[in-house]
Amino acid sequence: MNAIELNHIHKSFGSFAVQDLSLAVPSGTICGLVGENGAGKSTTIRLLMGALRPDSGTAAVLGTDVSSPAFTAVKEDVGVVLDEAYFPETLNALQVGKILASTYRQWEPSAYDGYLNRFGLPEKKPFKDFSRGMKMKLAIAAALSHRPKLLVLDEATSGLDPIVRDEVLEIFNEFTREEDHSILISSHIVSDLEKLCDYIAFLHQGRLLFCEEKDRLVEDCGVFTGTAEQAESLLPEAVIGREAKDYGGVRALVRRSLVPESLALERPTVEEIILFIVKGEETR
Amino acid sequence: MKALIQKDVYVLWKQMKIFIIVMLVIMAGNGSFGSVFVVIWCAMLPYTALAYDERCKWDQLAAMMPYSPRDLVLSKYVLGWLCAGAAGVLVLAAQAVIRVLPLPLETSSPLAVLISFCASVCTLAITLPLMFRFGVERGRMGMFLMIFLVCGGAGALAAIVDPGGAPVPGNMAALLSMAAVLAPIAAAVLTAVSIPLSLRICAARR
Repeated sequence: MNAIELNHIHKSFGSFAVQDLSLAVPSGTICGLVGENGAGKSTTIRLLMGALRPDSGTAAVLGTDVSSPAFTAVKEDVGVVLDEAYFPETLNALQVGKILASTYRQWEPSAYDGYLNRFGLPEKKPFKDFSRGMKMKLAIAAALSHRPKLLVLDEATSGLDPIVRDEVLEIFNEFTREEDHSILISSHIVSDLEKLCDYIAFLHQGRLLFCEEKDRLVEDCGVFTGTAEQAESLLPEAVIGREAKDYGGVRALVRRSLVPESLALERPTVEEIILFIVKGEETR
Repeated sequence: MKALIQKDVYVLWKQMKIFIIVMLVIMAGNGSFGSVFVVIWCAMLPYTALAYDERCKWDQLAAMMPYSPRDLVLSKYVLGWLCAGAAGVLVLAAQAVIRVLPLPLETSSPLAVLISFCASVCTLAITLPLMFRFGVERGRMGMFLMIFLVCGGAGALAAIVDPGGAPVPGNMAALLSMAAVLAPIAAAVLTAVSIPLSLRICAARR
């Protein structure tokens, strides 16, 4: 079963539109949603959580159509962390816990207290006096304390220092040790996604350019570095994107299957793949 | 729904502590006008809660939590009714204390409290769709208009029902009795129109 399924979603806001978005995240996997600012990541998350109604297309989460009334109950199984905490500023962690205990039938006070301790969050300090990192930690604690099967994280690690970010990523990893637990995480920090994700989906200007298994994506591509003449000799369909280097050199992202095996290629990072794809799109 | 009201009460609580003292002062010193005004004023607390929600973008998170769209809208109405109801009970209790002791302060008729509660419900029914449609900042313009009308109405009502003032003329007493019958009907009708309208406004925003 797929934890998340978006089929041909279209949503227009006038000057910006999410277009023909189809995405499937298999249950038990972690999918990273990458894209520049304004690419449509948050819109995608709002669409899949039913917070926005698409102009066309369908979305299903944990097997339930998000436009159906039954989806309200399914949200019990979904933990959400947005790019900010979005709790009223006058509340404190204790009050947030009480509100969420009345919200989620499966709320676990002991788990919540555990996360507060683990993150070193004060119980009675008003939320407005929290640092950004503390606010995000509280949001993560809240999202994990009602036994969710799916975590939807929108820039949840942004604003966290590298040590805390690592700790949080470890918690997300722990979460997916359960067979039926899945995560959709959007982030600007591609290195985080590279560490964490099984799948990478790349959104660019409202369109999904790819959604691939991370390992396959990295294995199927290679970075060619050579002269302009060597680059010109490559099949045009083999080149995904290229950039000029100093002294007439060229770096190009190529499809390994379409270039001679004798050609030395470096293993690309996900970030390099994304940057080359964007450059390729721009030159087209 | 319980969780949403609980959240709003936590948000408002700090403000409420000062608010209750201010209410008691207004009530004690202004007889019927004070009592009527306090009840209607309390019904406007959901706007403060809405302003806090808007500031932290709570609606975006709430839309992804297991709250139905109906509960998200209805909770603000219920909060307003609870606040106005609690203020009404407090006013009646304070009036009882003033009469029993007896203190040299003006009192108001329980009928005025009932009518003011209904006026609060009407105020909420008229202004909440505006708040949902335009947001608190712009919706407040409509609210100020309502406050202006309500203050004028409260003054007129107080002039009619104030037992400490001039004798109530027969036709005014009849008017008051009629208002006591009509106000609950108006409140029910306006609310019956207002809630579906707010639900449609919130659905359209998605």
